[in-house]
Amino acid sequence: MVIAREIMELVEEDELLSEESEDENSEMSDSALQDAFAKGLLKPGMNVLVEKPKQFANNVDAMKQCLADLKKDLPWVERLDLTNPPVEDVLAKMGGKKESESNGEVNANDDFQREMYFYRQAQATVLEALPLLKKNCIATKRPDDYFAEMAKSDQHMQKIRKKLLSKQAIMERSEKAKKLREQRKFGKKVQVEVIQRRQKEKKAMMTAVKKYQKGMTDKLDFLDGDERERNAPAKGASQKSKKTLNKKGPSAKRKYKDQKFGFGGKKSGKKWNTKESHNDVSSFRAKVANAKGPKGKKGKGGKQNKRPGKSVRRKMKARS
Amino acid sequence: MSTLKRKRGGRLPEGKKAKKVKTVIDEGKPPADNIQENKDEISIPPPVSMGKWTNKERVLIFSSRGINYRTRHLMKDLRSIMPHSKADTKMDRKDKLFVINEVCEMKNCNKCLFFEAKKKQDLYMWISNSPHGPSAKFLVQNIHTLAELKLTGNCLKGSRPLLSFDPTFDKEPHYALLKELFIQTFSTPRYHPKSQPFVDHVFTFTIADNRIWFRNYQIIEEDAALVEIGPRFVLNLIKMFQGSFGGPTLYENTHFKSPNMHRRELRLAAAARVQERQMVKEALRAKKAELKPEIISDVTDKVFDTPAPEKTVKIQTEPPEPQEKKKRKKKPFQRNRKKMGSKKL
Repeated sequence: MVIAREIMELVEEDELLSEESEDENSEMSDSALQDAFAKGLLKPGMNVLVEKPKQFANNVDAMKQCLADLKKDLPWVERLDLTNPPVEDVLAKMGGKKESESNGEVNANDDFQREMYFYRQAQATVLEALPLLKKNCIATKRPDDYFAEMAKSDQHMQKIRKKLLSKQAIMERSEKAKKLREQRKFGKKVQVEVIQRRQKEKKAMMTAVKKYQKGMTDKLDFLDGDERERNAPAKGASQKSKKTLNKKGPSAKRKYKDQKFGFGGKKSGKKWNTKESHNDVSSFRAKVANAKGPKGKKGKGGKQNKRPGKSVRRKMKARS
Repeated sequence: MSTLKRKRGGRLPEGKKAKKVKTVIDEGKPPADNIQENKDEISIPPPVSMGKWTNKERVLIFSSRGINYRTRHLMKDLRSIMPHSKADTKMDRKDKLFVINEVCEMKNCNKCLFFEAKKKQDLYMWISNSPHGPSAKFLVQNIHTLAELKLTGNCLKGSRPLLSFDPTFDKEPHYALLKELFIQTFSTPRYHPKSQPFVDHVFTFTIADNRIWFRNYQIIEEDAALVEIGPRFVLNLIKMFQGSFGGPTLYENTHFKSPNMHRRELRLAAAARVQERQMVKEALRAKKAELKPEIISDVTDKVFDTPAPEKTVKIQTEPPEPQEKKKRKKKPFQRNRKKMGSKKL
């Protein structure tokens, strides 16, 4: 009988607590279920066990009571506590507020902002507290000859100082190295330019000399080349010559190869041995394939490329 | 009568000097540590109006077994910057928490800071007002001790701190209660025999991201130029109790997620990712293995087929632009796998 009462209490408790009709305890015994059904708690259909959302304790009254009990009526001098928002961030205002603080809350993930927030809060406290301390005759500055034990030993402070100095030295060294590298790069560039210019000049001179030797020009203007360079119009001429060169651009051979092969990338199937490429006989020149070698051309071609004989050469030289 | 009886208020009997061996600091006349000088040579400032030490606050700082070096150093640092603290031996984890109340009573302390380490990974801190008062449990994170070389400030050992609180502490009742607890625990009582009369550092308690951040700064200049001394840590409130180390729960932090749950979530996320990839592979395999229906092609279908127009062949005449390098994603949860051949002969 005792057991039944307990179960009845359970049922009653459930009745009080459960707001949802689905909140049926499947662990209830049959008799308890029968009782519940009699009361009309069970509804037709599938009854599913649903967990109640977790209730977090927040006993405001008890907390206030505790606070009242805990509070000690101490003068401010004993506690030295202050509650204050941080000092205005001057830098952020100057740089056009970035609105890093959303609703006045500090963003805990931005390390620098967060630490600056704490720093400014401490600053505000110090600024407010110093006059109060002075009023209460509590010193904040210790005299120079006051020797006392510090929280960190002198040895430790030496270590810290050494580390700071070494960091500074490393930074300076890296700065110097960077500057040197930049200088060297610049110097190298200038050197390369000068060398290239000299080579170009030499080439031009050599070609001019050769032309003169072969009798193509009979003027000795290239000897005064330097003088002309120094005059202004020469610059225009050099530019013009460059332009004409550029107009021709890369040679025809280069252009053909670029067009055929391109610069890397997919060859678009041009160089594959596919059925199409195999069956493609457009590049077959019957004349070239069936010809039996250079016959009539040999004599003529040979003479074209041949160097003139000694007598002819002498004559040419004598003429110039 | 060789031992000197230390009187309250720090007044010594006439004609007797305080021994140098004792670390008791009376009237702001401290013994010099490294410099062994004659007392007559050091000019001692006249004692600031000496008073009696009335605010009898004593804090017991100790820990349970199984703490690691960082926690031990943090405790040592706290003991050194709080002269009104007392130390005790490590407590066995088998004992229930309310035993701590008895320990406090034996040591005549009315506040307690108890550090508990679990799994050699998580550190919990209890702060309580010993006989009847409220207590709170925190999860401690991001511990940096005094010995870190990046924290360059220094302060007198035992000097009194200023306490600085965020205005958020006044808004909620649980924060207000915590504020009162912190004030009473961390502020050094005036005229404490081990304290120094100068105020040269400030503790800050700020609330950010539903956690309490603790910092300790040294006051260098009167215009509030500060340097950090340390230590620093972050407290994540778990629960507040009405009694000391027990009693009915006053407040439970809704934003708190236990470190076990956190680690479990990471592991589950990693497992879920692996499973997803597996499932995708399985689906692909199943698709491939599927018997494809044979399509009987009709010869007459091709009658009206016209050849597709030839596509223009694209050849690159300019070199392609360099692609951006893909950064390797850093995984949040990395499982330590044993590497082959890592053992040295």
